[in-house]
Amino acid sequence: MSLKSQYADLKASFTAQSPDLPKCGRLLTQLKLGLIQAGLLLPQDDDLNHDDLVVAREILEIGAFWSIRTRDVPSFDRYFSQLQTFYADYATLPPSQYEHAIRGLHLIRLLTQNRIADFHTALESLPAAAMDSTFIAHPVNLERWLMEGSYAKVWSARAEAPAAEYGYFVDSLMGTIRNEIASCEEAAYESLPLKDAATLLFFTSQSELLVFAQERGWEVNLTSGTITFEKKGEETVDIPKEKLIAASLLYARELEQIV
Amino acid sequence: MAEVEMKPPADKKEEKKDDKNTEKKEEKEEAPKAPPTPVQEIKSNVVLIERAVATLEPRFAHRVLRTLTALRKRIDVAVLRNAIEEVFVKDTPTKQSLLSWLPDAPAPTEAMEVDAAPPASNADAAPAASKADAAPAASKADAAPAASKAAAAPEPVPDVDIYFRLLIMHHFMASSSTYGKALELGHQTIEKMQALNRRSMDPIAAKVWYALERAYELGGELSDARPLFLAAQRTAALRRDDETQASLINRLLRSYLHYSLYDQADKLVSKTTFPASAGNPQFARYHYYLGRIKAVQLNYSAAHANLQQAIRRAPAAKLAPGFYQAVHKLFVVVELLMGDIPDRGLFRHPVLEKALTAYFDIVKAVRTGSLSQFQTTLAKHAAQFEADRTFTLIVRLRQNVIKTGIRRLSLSYSRISLRDICVKLHLDSEEDAEYIVGKAIRDGVIDGRIVHERGWMECGGQKSGYGPEVADVFSRRIGYCLELHNQSVKAMRFPLNAHRKELAAAEGAREREKELAKEIQEGDLDEEDMGGEF
Repeated sequence: MSLKSQYADLKASFTAQSPDLPKCGRLLTQLKLGLIQAGLLLPQDDDLNHDDLVVAREILEIGAFWSIRTRDVPSFDRYFSQLQTFYADYATLPPSQYEHAIRGLHLIRLLTQNRIADFHTALESLPAAAMDSTFIAHPVNLERWLMEGSYAKVWSARAEAPAAEYGYFVDSLMGTIRNEIASCEEAAYESLPLKDAATLLFFTSQSELLVFAQERGWEVNLTSGTITFEKKGEETVDIPKEKLIAASLLYARELEQIV
Repeated sequence: MAEVEMKPPADKKEEKKDDKNTEKKEEKEEAPKAPPTPVQEIKSNVVLIERAVATLEPRFAHRVLRTLTALRKRIDVAVLRNAIEEVFVKDTPTKQSLLSWLPDAPAPTEAMEVDAAPPASNADAAPAASKADAAPAASKADAAPAASKAAAAPEPVPDVDIYFRLLIMHHFMASSSTYGKALELGHQTIEKMQALNRRSMDPIAAKVWYALERAYELGGELSDARPLFLAAQRTAALRRDDETQASLINRLLRSYLHYSLYDQADKLVSKTTFPASAGNPQFARYHYYLGRIKAVQLNYSAAHANLQQAIRRAPAAKLAPGFYQAVHKLFVVVELLMGDIPDRGLFRHPVLEKALTAYFDIVKAVRTGSLSQFQTTLAKHAAQFEADRTFTLIVRLRQNVIKTGIRRLSLSYSRISLRDICVKLHLDSEEDAEYIVGKAIRDGVIDGRIVHERGWMECGGQKSGYGPEVADVFSRRIGYCLELHNQSVKAMRFPLNAHRKELAAAEGAREREKELAKEIQEGDLDEEDMGGEF
């Protein structure tokens, strides 16, 4: 059984102190080929051996973690959709210890892409018991804070990530948050001292802030040390003539039909 | 001999009924005209089904199925056996297979004939005794023409067979010990239906699918039925069998939502078109399921529209209180999520008042914008919300509570320090408050700005209520009214071939006119006649 030995090899090299990621990648490719031949990658028969299914699931789970460590998000998505078959349709299998971690990662990934609708759909399909898991609770809290605007909490939760893999997504999440905060500041402030702006945006140095301000096109006054936000003046609202005319014509036509 | 034997079982039967639903019996006695017995009802339904098949008018079949809910509660083995005996006069394989599903009747066969005869079964115990000799005569008289009819009448249409199977399934589902039998019968019936492939059977077939799904659900193995339903849905779509298709789409959605598979449900909805000719109850269900999917996907305005449709199309509140309450629960939550406050009157509705108490508390918390009150209410009713499967939706309300709170503050203060906002809204820190207010300003919840150096929020003046958005709202309402009018025009029904009569009348009128013209031409028409004619 080369599949078995390869699996053992993969497990050993992945759980090692400093995993050899390229090697894992090679092993994963071979293992996936093996799984396809055994009909285990996308299991369809009901009479498959439970132990085999568990092994297949674990290989895919390692693949998902590996994708994140190698920063290959599309690959993570593929592994996740393959794993869903195991999680949803083979509920008779003994529960996997990684299931919540992987589901949590998937949730965070949806958050970073601002796919809130998908996030909630995925959340809804989880059993109520899963909410107690730290892996799931973490993204759930993040989402709540993001939605109400408690960005400071999101920032401080960065360090509390329940698994090392979360760190990768949290970094890109920070980018999303900064843009959110920046758009809020543009609307809510007229001017802001540089120092305070840096704290609000979680920048540690002023130079980072200046680069960011330039990207967003803010007016920075270095002598007085303030940022001025351009107020979008009360733009005069035009009367939407065409729309009104079209609506009136529609009413006339409908009324004519009724009378 | 027969007369003497007949009486005791008949009495027994009456007693049994009395025990079962005394109230119903009382109602019956009060009513000037007693409602028909179940057997009679089934028989008249069979006649209707046959007429539906003969005239190709599904209307009659629909009328039969409307009585199903009421009938379902009144049937038992004896009733079913009687009805089958009466309808299937000849001993055919169909009859045998139908009867084989029923356990042996508790009463001997003679009793059944008595039950079948209207006077005996409707009368109270005392009159029954006096009528004892009249009853058999009547039943014999009844039986005689039936027998002669049997000789002439051919085997009932297969639709009748399916209808009986449907009734038997409903009977099996009434008790938990016979779910398995209901399932088995359902599968056999479906095989039969698919083999027969009759278009006139569609309305009944749709109900059979419903019964089968219910049997699966009661047995707790709903997910097993999915492949079967999916295959049947495809077939129904290809055959343009609208009723079955509508029923099956709802069955599938229900099964997906039961297991919280919103993704799959959404895909099913996007891949299928719900037949426009489906009945109102199916539409109500479909809109409810759509509303749930949309609400989970944060598409609240679409969910709101769907739920409103579901409420409008649902049967009267008293008839189907369960559905009415379930839709309203979701409706209240969605309305809150949209930032609206539901009508106070909704919570006083007699059917809803009790079911919605927990939701009423939540509405109060959201309305006052008090985060702490919201949290305690949520904790208090968590179990109920979990059971209603609205918990995750309600948790999402948290941000609405904060927004409402900020809006109230911005309306009542022209300048307020962030510290005070933090205290009043029970936020964790001033820093949070600053971000939250900033977000509220950006989202257009309030009009104002933050002065960071002094740590306060300045609130701008009220927006004037006139602008293009008013016109938008107005035109949306007008559009809705027009749509309603058009829909109701489309929903009007006209009897078939009615226009022929009109045509004939028009023909006659023309004929008369011609005659009149001829007479005028011939000049033998005086003034008086003219006046009378016009």
